[in-house]
Amino acid sequence: MILRSVLVLVLLVGILSHASESLRFELQSSQTKCIAEDIKSNSMTVGKYHVVKPNEDHPLPDSHKLTVRVTSSYGNNFHSAEKVESGQFAFTAAEQGDYMACFWVPEHSPQITVTVDFDWRTGVHAKDWTNVAKKGQVDAMQLELKNLFDTVQSIHEEMFYLREREEEMQELNKATTSKMFWLSFLSLFLCLSVAGLQFWHLKSFFEKKKLI
Amino acid sequence: MMEKRRGKMWALALMCFLLLNWVADVSSLSVTVTDVECVYEYVLYEGDTISGNFVVVDHDIFWTSDHPGIDFIVTSPGGNTVHSLKGTSGDKFEFKAPRSGMYKFCFHNAYSTPETVAFYIHIGHIPSDHDLAKDEHLNPINVKIAKLREALESVTAEQKYLKARDTRHRHTNESTRKRVIGYTVGEYLLLVAASVLQVFYIRRLFSKSVAYNRV
Repeated sequence: MILRSVLVLVLLVGILSHASESLRFELQSSQTKCIAEDIKSNSMTVGKYHVVKPNEDHPLPDSHKLTVRVTSSYGNNFHSAEKVESGQFAFTAAEQGDYMACFWVPEHSPQITVTVDFDWRTGVHAKDWTNVAKKGQVDAMQLELKNLFDTVQSIHEEMFYLREREEEMQELNKATTSKMFWLSFLSLFLCLSVAGLQFWHLKSFFEKKKLI
Repeated sequence: MMEKRRGKMWALALMCFLLLNWVADVSSLSVTVTDVECVYEYVLYEGDTISGNFVVVDHDIFWTSDHPGIDFIVTSPGGNTVHSLKGTSGDKFEFKAPRSGMYKFCFHNAYSTPETVAFYIHIGHIPSDHDLAKDEHLNPINVKIAKLREALESVTAEQKYLKARDTRHRHTNESTRKRVIGYTVGEYLLLVAASVLQVFYIRRLFSKSVAYNRV
């Protein structure tokens, strides 16, 4: 059987990866879907995934079990699981970059569709607020306000980050413009020199041939 | 005895509070859409505001007028199309959910070239006056806090949108830079090659093997 080319649908969670309550997506047999997330350095990230059971009573057959791999953009493996129904992972991102979580389902003759429920939280929302509440016996309102405060701080940080990126882009554009400027002078110089060389060469050639 | 019950009530209130406020919030994703790509989100309450944005972060494809963009369709649990945006390269959306249930958010790509779409969906719930009347643990201040939370979420959503657009601009700029420099250098090389060929040809015309009198 021809190995069906794996439809790698790269789900890039490229942008600020703040909250994520269950995201659901469907996987066909022998299909890979990857979710990548741009995580900032030193931020906590927690991920939980499970297969949505089509039939609550019956246990999940092997063909419906997932294989998961979580890797960083540098190739380090943070989590991997074979043929599981559910699982979770948590780590602190050492450096900023794209972290990918890939899911795939083994090959099966009649094409089956597996619904995966994935919950990936980063930054502010990775904090388990229910635990904080239990431990500190904090007032519900205080907790909510604390959460809002953290959110505001993260918004502030994100603004700085966006500003930095904009500056980088401006630098890039400036560099491109100045390069084009110098290249246009080069083109003028090149044109004139090529014409001059042609002229000089042909003149000496004809003089040699005693035509001039 | 009273303290214990009060403690329990607070825990319950907290749970209710958390439930009411932390409603589904999909983090920004980008999907490489070759044909159709769908995401499912569960909406808890009728009347919740579903808001979000999406941007097509095209990698190497140059957006020409031929490529109309992608379509975005939101389907309610009943199967009706609640919201649709056709042929766009990125937009924001906001609407009220007509009913609770599982909503489907789909991206359609009419062309075979895969496009990467980055999107963010947020489902927000603000306790209404009706909820206030029903649940005695809810304070009007909780409504205000919920509104504040929603406002902050909208700021976050806008930031994600800006970040996605910035990424796209960056790709465009980098690709433009590469192409312009490549074409310019290529042009110079062609110029030099053409002039060398010219010289060779002229020399050949005047070479001894060809009767140059005939030129």
